[in-house]
Amino acid sequence: MSVIDVKHLTKTYTTYKRGAGMGQTFRSFFRREEISVQAVNDISFAIEQGEICGMLGPNGAGKSTAIKMLCGALYPTSGEIEVLGYSPARDRKHYVRTIGAVFGQKSQLIWDIPPIDSFKMNKAIYGISTPDFNNRLEELTALLDIAGVMEKPTRVLSLGERMKCEFVMAMLHQPEILFLDEPTIGLDVIAKVKIREFIRQMNKKQNMTCILTTHDLEDVEELAHRVIIINHGEKVFDDSLQRLKLFLGEKKRVSFTFAESVQGTVFDNACTRVVERPSDFQITLEVDTAQISISEFIENISRKHSFSDISVKELPIQQVVMNIYETKKQPEPSL
Amino acid sequence: MKRYVDVYKQCMYSAIQTAAAYRMNFIVSSLITLIGNILFPLVTVLIYRAGTSFPGWSLFEVLLIQSIFTMSSGLSSLVFGGVLWTTMSHVREGSFEVILLKPLNPLFYIVATTFSTESAGLFLGGAALFIFSVMQVGAISALSWLQFTGMFLAGTAVLAGLALMMAAMSFKWVGNSRISELADSVLHVGKYPLPIFPKAVQAVATMIIPVGMVGFLPASALLGRVQASDFAAVLPCFVFMGAGIWIYRHMIRLYEGVGG
Ligand SMILES: Nc1ncnc2c1ncn2[C@@H]1O[C@H](COP(=O)(O)OP(=O)(O)O)[C@@H](O)[C@H]1O
Ligand SMILES: [Mg+2]
Repeated sequence: MSVIDVKHLTKTYTTYKRGAGMGQTFRSFFRREEISVQAVNDISFAIEQGEICGMLGPNGAGKSTAIKMLCGALYPTSGEIEVLGYSPARDRKHYVRTIGAVFGQKSQLIWDIPPIDSFKMNKAIYGISTPDFNNRLEELTALLDIAGVMEKPTRVLSLGERMKCEFVMAMLHQPEILFLDEPTIGLDVIAKVKIREFIRQMNKKQNMTCILTTHDLEDVEELAHRVIIINHGEKVFDDSLQRLKLFLGEKKRVSFTFAESVQGTVFDNACTRVVERPSDFQITLEVDTAQISISEFIENISRKHSFSDISVKELPIQQVVMNIYETKKQPEPSL
Repeated sequence: MKRYVDVYKQCMYSAIQTAAAYRMNFIVSSLITLIGNILFPLVTVLIYRAGTSFPGWSLFEVLLIQSIFTMSSGLSSLVFGGVLWTTMSHVREGSFEVILLKPLNPLFYIVATTFSTESAGLFLGGAALFIFSVMQVGAISALSWLQFTGMFLAGTAVLAGLALMMAAMSFKWVGNSRISELADSVLHVGKYPLPIFPKAVQAVATMIIPVGMVGFLPASALLGRVQASDFAAVLPCFVFMGAGIWIYRHMIRLYEGVGG
């Protein structure tokens, strides 16, 4: 049974044009030109109980707008949303009791006081009983490893510590669905790993449904069973993670800074493609890891050249979207 | 209902904790608010010292108006004073959703979370001046005290309504720091005996934007100078507050995108 059912969801923002330069600014005092932004454009999907669905897209794609509508904070311009039998925006006050949300860039913690007092605020807001609250808090703090953090004022916490506390805030009332908007943005690797593990555990133990938006392909690869990609407000892909991998191939981007100039050296071959050469010493290669493992590839390079810096990254989301557009024109690959 | 009381209690606790965490800041800003709002009674003293007066009103009677005005402002900004700035910063940063995620009335939640401890100084300063003035104006009957209490609450409702209207404006005029000056200028009328103003201003100040209720009318009640018709002005006060609530909630709905 699907817990989230979205049909033809559309959101159009109306804003006013701000002119550039004195003349236009002056004119805009008197007559403001309306512009409408189609942030989400006719998106439909359904999500099953217990699914982790990744919503992937470049900046400005409409991910946050979609999440806000799913959380009941914004009314859709048109289309329908049904979550757990509720219409989120219309039934907001009852509906939001059943969900949890973490917005990576919008803190729900109270800045000047310790997180534990923000947690107590949620205890009052959701009317959680004291024994339930204590049990739940104990469980969550153990999972996230933040026992020593909760008593310090929020403003002195590191971003990673704060993010973990944001998760506690969202989970105290045992929501059935968790909405995450860019939950790993700006975090260091260790914090990212910890938070991903936490999401996986909540999903497994409590069969909690989870929708997360991200522009980081790694989040999706690590977590999602299902991937929806949106671009310019439109859905361009909606399928399993395996299927996405089939579309993309197994590619990684490796950037080197070499100790000597590699101008003129040829790097292209069957499993490697040059993406960028910002200088004679630097190069970014796209490696097909289906054909060669990353460690083998790096070994090969280091046998020929010495380098001072290296980084291995997922394909950037813009590239993913482009690949999808391209492969869509060709016949579909079969599983 | 119990949940709302619990939330409000927790919010007051947080506000006090924050004040304690920034003790120095709390003391300094309390003093600044107090000084900024207690200077005008001093001007009144100077006026009377110079031999001039508001006709029919003794110095202590005018000070009584002004102390009630200060208490009312203190009480209102204790409860509603933070709404304007919080709304403004939420709208500017696009974080109003965080409020909408809570299973509460959003206006209540904003009011609760913006409990402004530093206005306690203003309220207490006003109260001190009030006690001082009351002792100088002679005996006051129990009935007058009762009338005063009702009118004082009505006056505070006017200030609350005004605060909410200003906050509602900040949805549209994001980042306009002059919005609060607008309210302040309207309020000046409440600080002086109403009869010194032209008839038209008097009418507006009792029936439309009932600022007369903020200082003048409650003081008149204490001095036994109210007429039956003055009580008619109590109703517009609560209508005014209702209007403030309605406008603010309307702006929330626009923010949510219902308007289109
Ligand atoms: N409150 C708003 N008013 C007007 N335009 C907005 C508003 N919020 C977002 N937008 C626009 O809508 C589009 C989608 O934004 P958003 O949903 O934040 O994208 P994402 O989260 O994928 O980066 C962008 O073009 C953005 O500029
Ligand atoms: Mg976003």
